[in-house]
Amino acid sequence: MLRVARQILRFRGLLATLTARELKARYRGSVLGFLWSLANPLLLLAIYTFVFSVIFKPRVPGIEPYALFVVCGLFPWIWLASSALEGSMSLVSNSGLIRRAVFPAELLPMVSVLANGVHLLLAMPILAAGLVTARLLGYAVGGSAALLLPAILLLQLPMIAGLAVGTAALTVYFKDVRDLLANLLSLLFFATPILYSLQSLAGRPVFWWMVRLNPFTPFTAAYQLVLFFGQAPTAALWLQMALVSVVAWALGAGVFERLRENLVETA
Amino acid sequence: MQEPAAERPPAQESAAGGDGRAGAPARSPGGPPEPPPDRQPVIRVAGVSKRFRRTLPGDRLRTLKSALVGGLRTRDLPREETIPALEEVSFEVARGESFGLIGGNGSGKSTLLKLVAGMLRPTTGELAVEGRVAALIELGSGFHPEISGRENVYINGAVLGLSRRQIDRRYREIVEFSGLADFMEEPVKNYSSGMYVRLGFAVAIHTDPDVLLVDEVLAVGDEAFAHRCIRRIEEFLAAGRTLLLVSHSLDLVAALCDRVLWLDRGHQRLTGNPRRVIDAYRQAVAEQEGAEHLAAARASQAEEGEVMRWGSGQAEVTQVRLLGPDGSERYHLESGDRAVFEIHARAARPLTDFVFGIAVNTPRGFECWGTNTDLEGFVPGELAGEAVVRVTCPALRLAPGEYAVDVAIHARDGAPYDYRRRALGFTVTAATDGVGVYFPEHRWDFTGGVSWGSATGRSPRPEP
Repeated sequence: MLRVARQILRFRGLLATLTARELKARYRGSVLGFLWSLANPLLLLAIYTFVFSVIFKPRVPGIEPYALFVVCGLFPWIWLASSALEGSMSLVSNSGLIRRAVFPAELLPMVSVLANGVHLLLAMPILAAGLVTARLLGYAVGGSAALLLPAILLLQLPMIAGLAVGTAALTVYFKDVRDLLANLLSLLFFATPILYSLQSLAGRPVFWWMVRLNPFTPFTAAYQLVLFFGQAPTAALWLQMALVSVVAWALGAGVFERLRENLVETA
Repeated sequence: MQEPAAERPPAQESAAGGDGRAGAPARSPGGPPEPPPDRQPVIRVAGVSKRFRRTLPGDRLRTLKSALVGGLRTRDLPREETIPALEEVSFEVARGESFGLIGGNGSGKSTLLKLVAGMLRPTTGELAVEGRVAALIELGSGFHPEISGRENVYINGAVLGLSRRQIDRRYREIVEFSGLADFMEEPVKNYSSGMYVRLGFAVAIHTDPDVLLVDEVLAVGDEAFAHRCIRRIEEFLAAGRTLLLVSHSLDLVAALCDRVLWLDRGHQRLTGNPRRVIDAYRQAVAEQEGAEHLAAARASQAEEGEVMRWGSGQAEVTQVRLLGPDGSERYHLESGDRAVFEIHARAARPLTDFVFGIAVNTPRGFECWGTNTDLEGFVPGELAGEAVVRVTCPALRLAPGEYAVDVAIHARDGAPYDYRRRALGFTVTAATDGVGVYFPEHRWDFTGGVSWGSATGRSPRPEP
């Protein structure tokens, strides 16, 4: 576990270069280019606003405007899901690179994690604009607690990294992981209080516990707290996040380390 | 970059025999077969084996289970589920040494290089490398096809452990050496194979590695670039750095390496003095080729109805051998080597009329040389029972190529007792090429208004 972390830190310059390249490559040949990183979240916010204010009006006391609440949990989720999906394929799709040259393989899933992290950061101005607009319209959303956002992001980084690194190594041996992961993530999306709030499950203890024990729930709750409600997470929530993050990294990096012996020749 | 030619340690100097490197494949006739004990090994390979997992259909589930329970260690797999690539290989390479790996395709050379590079891990055994390792393993290795040559230089440099600023400083030199100044902004997927090698080598050598691993790729570049690479490698070695070279160009290996390891289907056959190891390797190859060649020739001629052996049988050729300069049986000679053709004969009943003959032909049937005892004035006395006839050539100056030997015992009027076509096959190699079948000792002298770029005209060529 520590070995994987050490490798990543040792090649941090290379990691930064590769991430920048990945971002550049994504928009190469497109007309709007980098603007897509801003346009995507904006369109998403517009769609959810339309859906939750015109088509489908959830009546949840204290959560208004609902679309804004949803994207506060959704944007970080997209970071996680894209990082895991792209990261899991990173070794397989770059097998030419790691099979033919001395290349620190653990960097590849990390590139997916960081590149998608940058997309999340680029979505933040859109979210901020949305929150400011809502505030001007008289809704009691947002606040200075948003300054805690970097701490939560940094806390979630090892967790997402662990997920990407671990699934990347597993995918090398078992291509099933990709489909398994895609389905598991859609299932988990609904088992995480993103489209609904945890409080709305208060009357149904079975569901409430299922969602509460979902390891992704503490992070989603924390993002919603600092961004939407403008409140600082409780000490218990910080602790849960830290615990989940450490365990996820240990598992992911552990799997990578365990499969490392034949990784290059199998990829 | 420093100009390191002057910094060459004296110990190396003597091993190389003065300016022997500039010349042809005779770099270290007196070179030490083992690294001097006072020098620390930079590469230490101890009992290393590498086995690859065989791809078996339908055992994925079991693989998954075993992976999650105990990891995927190849050494725990039963033998029949693995493909052995290297078996118990051990050697050490000292700082400043140039070490060559030779062997046929599939002998494990590249696997060994990848193990040293740290790309693969040994199944069993120990392997340690000190310092920074740069590797040119395969064509285009380490390059992202989609991005520009310039960005690739930076990424490559970063993988080799250089900071951005360090690469900035060397960038101009790298581009200059590669000769690709006009193409640095192009994505490397548009590069030709020669351009890949140029850039790859330029980056690897300019990043100042302690150990450089080169696998055959130099053969892809053109002659001029290959010479430039070899000069640069010589400077690199002179600066006390270490080289591990894999090549099928035995002349190149002989010219550059202090010691050579011969791998044969994953087994370490011989390690030591380049001349000795390369010679043994050539011998083995020629032996196999000779056998294959003769078998094939015999088969095809048998098909065409050509008779390979005829005669009355009153006398019989029982065995034909070729003996090399050291008197042992061999199928590979350097042009100019002493060669002995040995004919074992047997006469069932004593004969008084007999001639021994021998002829050397090319595989296509061109007669290079032939003679017999009658032509050379031997008047027969008696041939009875077993006899051994030897034809000794103190210096057999055949041109490089393959040859077959016909042997005969016949009467003086030509009536054959035993005539054997292609009784023996052998290969001749030489330091330089020539055309034809004859390779006389020769020398070039020039006077007047003629000059040459290379002093000896026998610079090592990268292509086999």
